[in-house]
Parts: sequence; structure tokens; C-alpha cells
Amino acid sequence: MVQKKGIFSNIGKGAIYLIVFLLGLICLLPLLNIVAVSFSGSAAVAANKVGFLPVDFTTAAYEKILGDDQFWRSFGISVIRVILGLVLNLVLIVLMAYPLSKSKREFKGRSIYMNMLIFAMLFNGGMIPTYIVVKNLGLLNTVWALVLPGAVPIFSVIMVMNFFMGVPKALEEAAVIDGATPFQVLTRVYLPCSKPVIATVALFSIVGNWNDFFSGLIYMTKVNNYPLQTYIQSLSVKLEDMLNAGGSLSSLVNIMDVSSQNLNAAKIVVSVIPLLMIYPLLQKYLITGIVVGSVKE
Amino acid sequence: MSKRYMGRRILSVSVAAALALSLSACGGQNSEQEDPVAAETGGLGAYDETLVCNMGRSTIANPKFPEGDSYEDNAYTRYLKEKLNVEVVDSFEANGEDYDRQVSLAIASGELPDVMRVGSRDVLTELVENDLVADLTDVYEEYASDYIKEIYDSYDGRCLDEAMYDGRLMALPGTNYDAAPCEIFIRQDWLDDLGMNIDEDGDMCLTIDELEEVVRTFVDKDPGNTGNPVGLAFAPYLTAGDYGGSGYTMTAIGSAYQAFPGSWLMDENGQVYNGSTTEGMKNALAKLAEWFQEGLVDPQFGTRTWDDITALLTNGQTGIAFGPWHLPDWLLNNVRSMDPDAEFSAYTICDENGKVNVIHNNACSGYMVVRKGYSNPEVLIKIANLFFDDIVNDKNLEEEEPEVYEYITTVDNSARPIQVELNKNTYLVDEYSDIKNCVEGNITMDEVRSVESKTKVESIKRYLEDPDNAEVADWSSYTSRMNGMGLIDHLTAADQFEWFSPVFFDTTKTMETNNADLNKLQEETFVAIVTGSKSIDEFDTFVEDWNSRGGEQITKEVQEAVDAQ
Repeated sequence: MVQKKGIFSNIGKGAIYLIVFLLGLICLLPLLNIVAVSFSGSAAVAANKVGFLPVDFTTAAYEKILGDDQFWRSFGISVIRVILGLVLNLVLIVLMAYPLSKSKREFKGRSIYMNMLIFAMLFNGGMIPTYIVVKNLGLLNTVWALVLPGAVPIFSVIMVMNFFMGVPKALEEAAVIDGATPFQVLTRVYLPCSKPVIATVALFSIVGNWNDFFSGLIYMTKVNNYPLQTYIQSLSVKLEDMLNAGGSLSSLVNIMDVSSQNLNAAKIVVSVIPLLMIYPLLQKYLITGIVVGSVKE
Repeated sequence: MSKRYMGRRILSVSVAAALALSLSACGGQNSEQEDPVAAETGGLGAYDETLVCNMGRSTIANPKFPEGDSYEDNAYTRYLKEKLNVEVVDSFEANGEDYDRQVSLAIASGELPDVMRVGSRDVLTELVENDLVADLTDVYEEYASDYIKEIYDSYDGRCLDEAMYDGRLMALPGTNYDAAPCEIFIRQDWLDDLGMNIDEDGDMCLTIDELEEVVRTFVDKDPGNTGNPVGLAFAPYLTAGDYGGSGYTMTAIGSAYQAFPGSWLMDENGQVYNGSTTEGMKNALAKLAEWFQEGLVDPQFGTRTWDDITALLTNGQTGIAFGPWHLPDWLLNNVRSMDPDAEFSAYTICDENGKVNVIHNNACSGYMVVRKGYSNPEVLIKIANLFFDDIVNDKNLEEEEPEVYEYITTVDNSARPIQVELNKNTYLVDEYSDIKNCVEGNITMDEVRSVESKTKVESIKRYLEDPDNAEVADWSSYTSRMNGMGLIDHLTAADQFEWFSPVFFDTTKTMETNNADLNKLQEETFVAIVTGSKSIDEFDTFVEDWNSRGGEQITKEVQEAVDAQ
């Protein structure tokens, strides 16, 4: 469609850019504020004086983090968890999605498996039964308790399956004629074609594993074993909640000590750095991954 | 029990209720009595063989352990091993609410630790009804030291009764001494600048009118020179369940009208009522609404959060803060670090007759329970003897056990393998008299009873040597002890307290389902009345609504529970 470039379309474009710019600001400004708070003196933070630039610039909070053994131990646990979770997720997603992407004729019983998946996506055992299973398997306090219960992200399976369905049949047929085994078809033909969607589900897996704090709370019975986000969560208790829970002097003094706003901000900043580094690498695949996966042959 | 907390409580109660269903399936195992490990006689008798004790440990984020120590292996647990030959193994460690969740999970999976803390009476009741915890009546009688019994006696049975079921002691309850009143901290340096003497009779109490005078002067004269002074600032929830949580609330003002919002009290006819629904409450709100109209209450009341109010204080926009006696230790210290001239005096509000109306705290805070069937249930009592009698009353602790002594002063109390506090009800007044007498040189350091008081005496002396250049922490010690605690001591000595006793602290059935709604109703109505968007006459409508939306049923349940006692 050819459109005359008039003044109205320019205004329209300008308006769109403005809206997008504002939306971008809404996302960016809170982050800037957190960074500014993390570099500010605690008194200035308490007095609500910090906007988007640090007041009374200090790196005291970061120095305190450097000296916090538990922070780095938790950081290490989170890194291990992400790597382990990523490998496990990708292997299981691909192995599951590939057969499911075949037609009913090629894969008898496909609909049974599909229904099971969807059932499991909609309903689950709930917190306590899952806990009992994990406990009786002897997984408490191990990294496996964090990784195994979420080893097959069904949403990602369906996404990859849809993408596989979009890969031209002719490619597979050609490979089979050349004598490729089904496994070779998957690894030599399908996977190289599917980089966008693999990158997308990898990103989901990394972000999900890195940000999840709740499973750490349940399956780790010692603070020593907490992954990073769980550890940070356990520090950012709100003062008002403490007051409502009785507010004894020692607990209040303690909470003011660890939960000072600028220290928390510094922890948040440090904890998002790994994700900030990974995002740009995978981002270019992200949009194509989601969109292309939705188009079928 | 405060309101926003109640929502969570309801959640945890319902989780507990769901658990009860699964208890029949999971419980019951291992309930036969295990063979006891032999021990020497007496309340501190050591075990012949090492007794392993699996514990659930409630932790805090920053216990300040020395390098290498942990909850499982620290000076306290090593001391316990040395003295009683008991080895602590942690079944789980978690913070605050996460700890409660771990307890629920332990109950659900049917494997309770040998000894653990439970936070609420509802969970304790659940455990007792399912026969999962040991009866401690006999071991308490036999092993508890005289001093421990003395501590409980100072509460006239109000504390132990909370852990009694059919006359049997099913848990060792933690004590919770009275911390009344809610104090008002006022910028003394501003008062001096303005040449005001607000307490001419020296009774450390202000009447409502005297307070009004102070607020009016602060708002008119703007002693903080901010150009935008704010009068009394309150958190949006306005009321508090106990004095520990009374920061930025109207608790002190309510007390002048004998209003105790949220507390269950009994009138002379034996009828229970909720303090939120009384005539006194209405009068207190009417006063606040009147002040709001005159600009004496923060015009942004209702949207100003806790942190915002703290910012008002540290900026010098307001110089009046309500809260417990220890407010200077953790909150007002921010003001001092921003403004080295800041000084606070502590007052409270009295009624027309010069009396300060206060309520007793729930005497009990937390419960230690022993798993039913555990080989040596008396170990809990022995641990209590060790940590709340032996260590506390050991005059030579510093020389004999330097490591433990060091811990008392620097490491958080949660490091102890018993996670309730046992203190006499007169704890605050006792502490104050020791500190004051020692600071004034009437007694020597050795005569000061608790280790904590000793460190406070040192801190206060440091402050007094050079008040202008003192560390903020020393200033906090001085202000909270000499002013905050001093006020309590003064009111006690002058017999100015008028005590009221709430009769009920637990949760009834209808509370579980309706409290969230009722609390929201109360919070919204109170804010609306104070800010003038509803007239004070609507308070009566509120009481009707409150009753029809479950309050009446709850009152009936509380009445039944109280009558049954």
C-alpha cells in the first residue's frame, strides 16, 4: 500500500515515538532511582531526597556487599542453578517438542501426550504434596530441588513444538533420503533452523531460574543454601510487617541495620547485572522466536 | 493483633487448617516414647551420653556471628554441649514468615523436629489437638529453677495460662513484658529555641490541650525552617495492636479517651467488647478530625506512608513522633544523623484526671514445644535454666565464659538454641533503675544485673562525657534509656498508670473469615472521619456495619471463650 507522506502521518509517527519513549522512561526511571539510591548516603535516602542522581555519593553499600560471604555464596548457587536448569530445560524441551511436532499419522498417541501436557500445565499438585515428594526423594538442600520440579516448562515445549511445525517438510524428507536417522534429522536439520525459538526459551529459562526465590524458601532449610534471590528476599523484610508482628527492640534494630534502603538497592543492582549482560545477546532472537513460532505451514 | 498482619494470619491459619486434614494421614508415626538418655539430677544435670536435639530454628537476616560461626555451631550451642552434653542439630532454619512456612511443612510431612518454636497459639492448638507435642507439666515442675518460676510468677499466671490445655502445660511460653505507654517524642531543641516549657508540673504527661498547643506552635513558627511544616503525622493504619507496633499511630491520643482500638476488653457487667467500637474511640477520632480541620494533622494523612513520615522527621518538617520507648534506637537515630542538634524529650498523654490509661500486653510471645515421644522432653526446661537463669545471673560470666559474654553483647539473641525470651514483667523498670543508678554512680558496674544494661551504661557514659560530639548510637542509648525508659519508670513510681486488661488475644472462627474485611472497614472509616470526608456522626453507622459484617458474631465467640475460662 502506497501512502502519501503528509504532515498527518508525520505527526502520527511523532506521537507514536513519543508514547514509546515515555513507556521506555517508565521502565527505565525506577531502575535509575535504584541505582542512585544504592550510591547515596543512608540519611539522604531516609529523608527521601534521592531522585535519579546520587546524593552524598558513597560506595559504602557496595563495600558492605563485597564483605558479605553469604551474598557471594548465594550468587554462586544461583549461577550453578541457572546453568544446570538451562541445560536440563533445553534438552527436555527439544526432546519433547520434536515428536509432538509430528502429525498424528506419524506419531500415534500424540493427542494423548498432548492432553497430558496441557492437563499438567493447568493443574499441579500444589505446594505441600510437591514438598513431600521433593523431601522424600532426599532432594532438600540440594540444587536439584530447585531445578528438577521445573525441568519441563510446558509453555516452552509448546512454543518450540509450534516452531518445529513451521520448518518445511521438504528439508526433513531430503535428509531422510540422504539416510539421516530421526535423531540426526533433529540435530542436523531442525535445531540449526530453530535458533530463534531456542534462544527465546533459553532466555525464559535463564530469567525464570535466576529470578525465582520461592522454591529456595521452601526447599532450602538452611540460609547457607539459599540462592541469591531468596537471600535478597529474606533481607528485604518490610519494617511495617515487623512492627505488626510485635516489633521487639532487637528485631527492629536488626532490621534497620540490614534492610537499609541503600544496601537493598545495591543488592538489587548487583543481582540484575548478570541478566543485563545476557539480554542484549539473546534479544535479537527474542521477537522472531515468539512471532515465527506462531506461524504454521 | 494488628490488621494488615491479620490477612497473613488468616492465610497461615487456613494453611494450618488444611494441614490438619493431612495430619491424620501423616501423623501418628513415631509417637511411642523413645528411651530417655540418663542424666545427672537437677535442673542443669548433664547427660551421660551426648543427647542429640533436632531443632527448628527461627533466624534473622543478620545475626552478626563472628567468622566461622553459624546457627548450628556458635558460642551458645558449644556452651550447651559443654554444660549439658546436648548437641543441637538444625532440622531447618528460616526467617520470620518463612519459618512459619517451614513449621507448616514439617507438620505436613509428619516429621517434627524434637524442639521448635511456634509463633501462634492457633498452631499450638492444632499440635495439641493432634497429640503431636509432649506434655511439659511434670518436667516443668521438676526441673524449672526457682528463678525461672519467679519470672513466670511475675505475670500472675497470665503467661503460663496461654500454654495450658485442660490444666496441662503443653509448651513453654515466651514472656512479653508490658511496654506501655505509647510515648511522644518531641524535639527538645526546638522547644528550647522557642522558649517553651510545655510540662510545667513536671509529671512528664501532656494533656490533649497541651499537646495541641505544642503542635500549633510548631506549625506556626516552623522551627525546622523548612517552609513547609507539618503537624502530627500518622501512618494510614492509625491504630496498633500493641505498644511495640505503636509507631506513628494514635495510640497515645486514644488512651486519653480510654480508647483501645482492636483490643478485647470487658465491662463491669462481664460483657466483652471491642475497643474500636466505643464512645471513647469516637471522641478520639472527633478530636483528630477537629485538628485536621485546623491543619494540625498532616494534610496528606491517609496517603503518607511510614517511610514518608520518617522523611518528614529527618527533614525537620515535623518534630513530633509517636512510638514505643525504644524509638530513638532505630528510628530517631536517623534524625540525629541528619541534624546533630536534634534532641528529643519523651512524654505521654494523660486524661483529664492526670491518669495514663494503658493496657497489658499479651503476656505471652511465642511457644517452645517438644515433639511427643522425644526421649528427653526435660531438655527444653534445662536449656531455659541455662540461658535465662545460669547465664543471666552469673556475676563472673565475663571471666569464666568470655566467649558467651561476648555473644550477649554483640550477637543477636536468635543464636540461642531456645527462641523465646524469658523476662520478668518488671524488666523495663528494673533495667532502668540499674542503668540510672550506675550512671549516677550510686551502684557499681558489678551490681548492674544484666549484661545488656552494662553495655548501655557504658554507652550512656560515653555520651555524657561529650554530648555534642557523641556518636549517634550513644545518643540513641541515652535518649531511649534515660528519656524513653525514664518516662515509664516515672509513671510507675508516681502511680499514674491506669491499667486495663484485654481479656482475649486469640483468633476465633469468624475472625479467620471476617477480620480482613472488618479491618479494612475500620481503616477506611477512620481515615475518612479524620480527613472530614465523613462526619463524626457516621461513627455510629460504622459500628452498625462492623456488627452486621461479622463483628457481632465474633463478639459472641469471644464472650463464649472468655466465659469458658
